Amino acid sequence: METWSEVAEVQPLASKIITNSMKKDRISHAYLLQGERGTGKEAIALLIAKGIFCETNAVNEPCQTCNACKRITSGNHPDVHWIEPDGQSIKIDQIRNLQKEFTYSGLESNKKVYIIKGADTLTVNAANRILKFLEEPSKRTTAIMLTDNSQAILPTIRSRCQVIDLRPLHPTMLQKQLIEEGMHERNAVLMSTLTNRIDDAFTRINDEWFASARKIVVQLIEVLSTNPEDIFLFIHQHWVTHFKDRNEQEEGLDLLLIAMKDILYYHIENEAGIVFFAPSDELLELAARRFSQNQLVAVLQAILQAKRKLKQNVHPTLVMEQLTLQIQR
Amino acid sequence: MKFIIQRDQLIASVQNVMKAISSRTVIPILTGIKIEARQDGITLTGSDSDISIESYIPAEENGTVNVEYIEEGSIVLQAKYFPDIVRKLPEKTIEIHADENLKVTIRSGKAEFNLNGQDATEYPQLPKLQTDDSFELPIDLLKSLIKQTVFAVSTMETRPILTGVNVKLENQTLTFTATDSHRLASRTIPVADTTNEFSNVVVPGKSLNELNKILDDTEDKVEISVTSNQILFRTKHLNFLSRLLDGNYPETSRLIPDQSKTVLHVKTKELLSTIDRASLLAKEERNNVVRLTTQGDQLVEIASNHPEVGNVTEEVTVSSIEGEELKISFSSKYMMDALKAIEFEDVNIEFTGALRPFIIHPANEDSILQLIVPVRTY
Repeated sequence: METWSEVAEVQPLASKIITNSMKKDRISHAYLLQGERGTGKEAIALLIAKGIFCETNAVNEPCQTCNACKRITSGNHPDVHWIEPDGQSIKIDQIRNLQKEFTYSGLESNKKVYIIKGADTLTVNAANRILKFLEEPSKRTTAIMLTDNSQAILPTIRSRCQVIDLRPLHPTMLQKQLIEEGMHERNAVLMSTLTNRIDDAFTRINDEWFASARKIVVQLIEVLSTNPEDIFLFIHQHWVTHFKDRNEQEEGLDLLLIAMKDILYYHIENEAGIVFFAPSDELLELAARRFSQNQLVAVLQAILQAKRKLKQNVHPTLVMEQLTLQIQR
Repeated sequence: MKFIIQRDQLIASVQNVMKAISSRTVIPILTGIKIEARQDGITLTGSDSDISIESYIPAEENGTVNVEYIEEGSIVLQAKYFPDIVRKLPEKTIEIHADENLKVTIRSGKAEFNLNGQDATEYPQLPKLQTDDSFELPIDLLKSLIKQTVFAVSTMETRPILTGVNVKLENQTLTFTATDSHRLASRTIPVADTTNEFSNVVVPGKSLNELNKILDDTEDKVEISVTSNQILFRTKHLNFLSRLLDGNYPETSRLIPDQSKTVLHVKTKELLSTIDRASLLAKEERNNVVRLTTQGDQLVEIASNHPEVGNVTEEVTVSSIEGEELKISFSSKYMMDALKAIEFEDVNIEFTGALRPFIIHPANEDSILQLIVPVRTY
């Protein structure tokens, strides 16, 4: 997505709002772009920045060929500042540096743009600090904050931004595209629920790690439904050794969540909703006999709870042990 | 781009521009040195976005040829490797050649380096400053202007505008003012032959310190020009650009009292060393406070008291005391900074009561002014 017309295909409303305000020269001092992974937040942020700095001053589309546009793409424009999470969160020092930067005049022009990626990861201190210059923007600065998780933004920050909701991509659209590009149908169904980007889907499906992760989730459900006494052994031997860092653990839980949801769908005979398993899978029937509908709802809740705990830095092995205990109950 | 250059010239230039380059920059291109070749010479540029330094090597100077076989063009090279390479090359001349795929070949004698360059169009464009609204100063005068004011800038980021020095040119006088709201330092000098005027120009203290280090103490001229967002100091082969601080500098002229109740005439050195001694006990705690008491019309007592450590008193003979009796407390650090900055043997200190700011300036000289806010003690 490099031009407004391309963005408009995916995000018609958002692109309309922004291009209109640019045409009328009423660019807001702060935008909060919220939308899931792959909905084009960064593409839109880049386009806004280019719209502000582009030398040909094309109101509708930035030219992409002038010096300013090129440098914004390569991240070398001196008056466009990117803030990205340093590790898990955006630290107060990063904001302090940004603030210092804003006490100076611009290097090439009087306009400045700062783009904060993952604005939900701002630490509380950093977020409060940023409030100050969201509140009193100097004449020609534009803040663009990007987030997947709009609920985690401080209400005080949200209230100072123009909020632009990016609509989630429709899974069937991606599914169709994936199948057109030659992905197996079952895989395409699964990948379209896991990600919103085509290239991401293909790298994952060809990733050995992902293949064995899928296998382990299947095995876990198998163990849970046939001989639950062995579950701790299984977790320690396979799960913990395979899902090592935070992202991997979260992805494992995501897969488990989808798989459990499938079993529930099997119960209520919603075969179209089944994603992880093939609808004819024997394991599905086996698991459906083991877990009742009520149990499954409780299991889904337990998995969501476990995800939250991971975010709160609870020890991952303990999280998994507790989760499996809850599933067996 | 292609040229052959004398190694010593290049080393000197590279060292100058390296002073502006920081390894911790957020903009990737600024980790590099920009090299631009034109028929009349080579320009090197380094920047950390706050300050930028351009160093110019003329193709020919005083009959000696520095650069030969110039093909015009420009390239950005990694500042991490380029200076060391240049320094360690074997021969007196270096050939630098960049092709259209941004591959750079550096050749000297039998040594050959192939480096990957970056596109020079990615480099920030420094403003082209016009020479007609500029004015000139001798370098040593500029350096003393900086030294006498820059120490007083604020180090706190709470009021960012105070971390800079206010530069003002009005009615052919140039004024440098710095304050951290507890003290103020200012210096004015007359500037002939300019009709240029500007007032709200605030140069970051950090940039001025850097400039002070780079300039040699000579009587050559430096040319200063100001745009809306940058200030340029131009010497013969070196351009020093600094960004300005954004915002309005507070009006300081009204802070300076125009009448006084007590005036001291005193030898700078004696007072300085006395206060230095008195501050030994007051260090760190209680803001280095010392107390000054007038005694008669020839004596001043400087005292400091630390309840846990002890106390110190010392009497200084002064040339004269005019006006009311006085007992005043102030920060010894501020006082010492101010006295050090005044490079004159005798100073006048003008007080207006124990709770009002007092000013220090050289005897018979109004161009340097130091103002200190006293400390309230009970």
